[in-house]
Amino acid sequence: MIIATLHSWARRNLFANLIDSILSILIVTALGWLLTVFLRWVIWDAYWQRIYESLRLFLVGQFPEDQTWRAWVALALLCTAVGAVLLPWSRRLGVAIWLIACGAAVFVLVPPGLDRWGGLLLSIMLTVVVSTASLPLGILFAFGRSSRNPSLRACCTGYIEVMRSVPLILVVYWIWITVPLFMPEVSISSLARGMIGYTVFNAAYVAEYVRSGLQAVPRGQREAARSLGMSNWTISTEIVLPQALRVVQPALVGNVLDVFNGATLVFIIGLMDFLRAGQLILVDPAASGQTNEVYLFMFAVYFVIGSAITFGSRRMEAHMHRSTR
Amino acid sequence: MMVASNDFGTTKVAFDKVNKFYGPFQALRDVTLSVTTGEVVVLIGASGSGKSTLIRCVNGLETFHSGSLVVEGFSMPTIKDLEFGGGEKALRQIRRGVGMVFQQFNLFPHKTVMENIALAPMRVRGKSREEAQATAMRLLERVGLRDHAQKYPGMLSGGQQQRVAIARSLAMEPHVMLFDEPTSALDPELVGEVLDVMRELRTEGMTMMIVTHEMAFAREVADRVIYMDKGAIVEEGPPAQIFDKPISDRTRTFLSRVLKH
Repeated sequence: MIIATLHSWARRNLFANLIDSILSILIVTALGWLLTVFLRWVIWDAYWQRIYESLRLFLVGQFPEDQTWRAWVALALLCTAVGAVLLPWSRRLGVAIWLIACGAAVFVLVPPGLDRWGGLLLSIMLTVVVSTASLPLGILFAFGRSSRNPSLRACCTGYIEVMRSVPLILVVYWIWITVPLFMPEVSISSLARGMIGYTVFNAAYVAEYVRSGLQAVPRGQREAARSLGMSNWTISTEIVLPQALRVVQPALVGNVLDVFNGATLVFIIGLMDFLRAGQLILVDPAASGQTNEVYLFMFAVYFVIGSAITFGSRRMEAHMHRSTR
Repeated sequence: MMVASNDFGTTKVAFDKVNKFYGPFQALRDVTLSVTTGEVVVLIGASGSGKSTLIRCVNGLETFHSGSLVVEGFSMPTIKDLEFGGGEKALRQIRRGVGMVFQQFNLFPHKTVMENIALAPMRVRGKSREEAQATAMRLLERVGLRDHAQKYPGMLSGGQQQRVAIARSLAMEPHVMLFDEPTSALDPELVGEVLDVMRELRTEGMTMMIVTHEMAFAREVADRVIYMDKGAIVEEGPPAQIFDKPISDRTRTFLSRVLKH
């Protein structure tokens, strides 16, 4: 039965005509060969012991060993936060739990010192903090850019356009250097400055996504709200913004993925993120033979986290649509 | 505020020589019109004749350039007033007393039927949630949609959505209701249920201004029919006069076109 189905499927999709058949045979053979070579290396030739020995550096960098429990607690809190926004219950409650859990995660991790964060821990916390902080900031700038007040509009437009026309590294580096110049008496850690710089940069992109959502809300929605006597504040927060965010939700989650992948660039201000941790491991002469293992491991981790974010985005989208139909 | 005190209470809406332009195009020409309490005024005319623009002026969704418009004793700000930052307060006062129903319903798609109706009374009139929801339930019963309170607008038919929209307006306890082609976006078999609700409002004495293409309905419910062309009021009078022995040639031509088929 199954074989018959498989047979007819292959017949229809792989061997429908001569050209299809030739292509299928060539591609299947090439893929099979590549996979065999790859698997043989993964199973027999690769020295995975190196990854296992360096796991600590990969995951938490220089985080003090006796404080590792903090990382575990933070991980649990982050899982709670993600679960809260993925489950199809009250949106308000989801956002509240997200904020509290993420705040608690940061709070738990702070005592050993921000300078001790590293590896995947740093990459993930950077992503969480920057994405969370960029959203309200981006919403404010989006409203500012579509405001009727010309000076406010000019400021917001200027900010967004400047940030979008310069590279991330430049903004992060610039904030890292200038913050101590303006506030010489307080010392702010590199990581905090990096987070500020990245947020300042990313908020401009979020603002543009949100603005496109604001424009997608039909004019009749505002008119109906105005005819009911609602104030501009109520119209924005109750009618326009929720609909706009629904429209741009996939783009915003895509932006989280961008932030996560872009987080590799903070090595410029001396932070050791996940990718940088891998490179540092390879600096050790003893490990220099395991370049392939290290990079394959990092590839796999980035891939798994990235596809998890995409998957989560699709689920959110699905139950958001269900609630409006 | 040139309203004599004895006018207030009988005159709900008073246009006096109102003009409006879209660039060089004149949308309203010297419109003078007053609507008294409990009156049902139906505006007819070809599309682009200014009838929608006229009723949208009554709650300030459209602004005008010259003339005056007084709604329930409040003077509607002109474009000039609004440019200098004035008139917002009068505008909000007017909107509290004037409800509007749109051709495209304009229900809030992300809120349930109940939330659609209860939101404005809570946020604008400061009612408690319980009170607003009780009122909403009563209104839903009145428009025959009691069982649909927890649904989203997208799950309802056009006729049901429009009845929810009417209920949403009524929840603000308006003194004047504006209807901008309320049945034009509906399938023919759904028109009747919406018109029934409007008929009921009429018997309760609601002051209404209606833009519609339903001539039979206009003849039935209107106290006064107004024919507009090119932004001006061409002719007005009781339905019997307008439909049976119109004075103006333009009115006659228009009616012969719409009543033929």
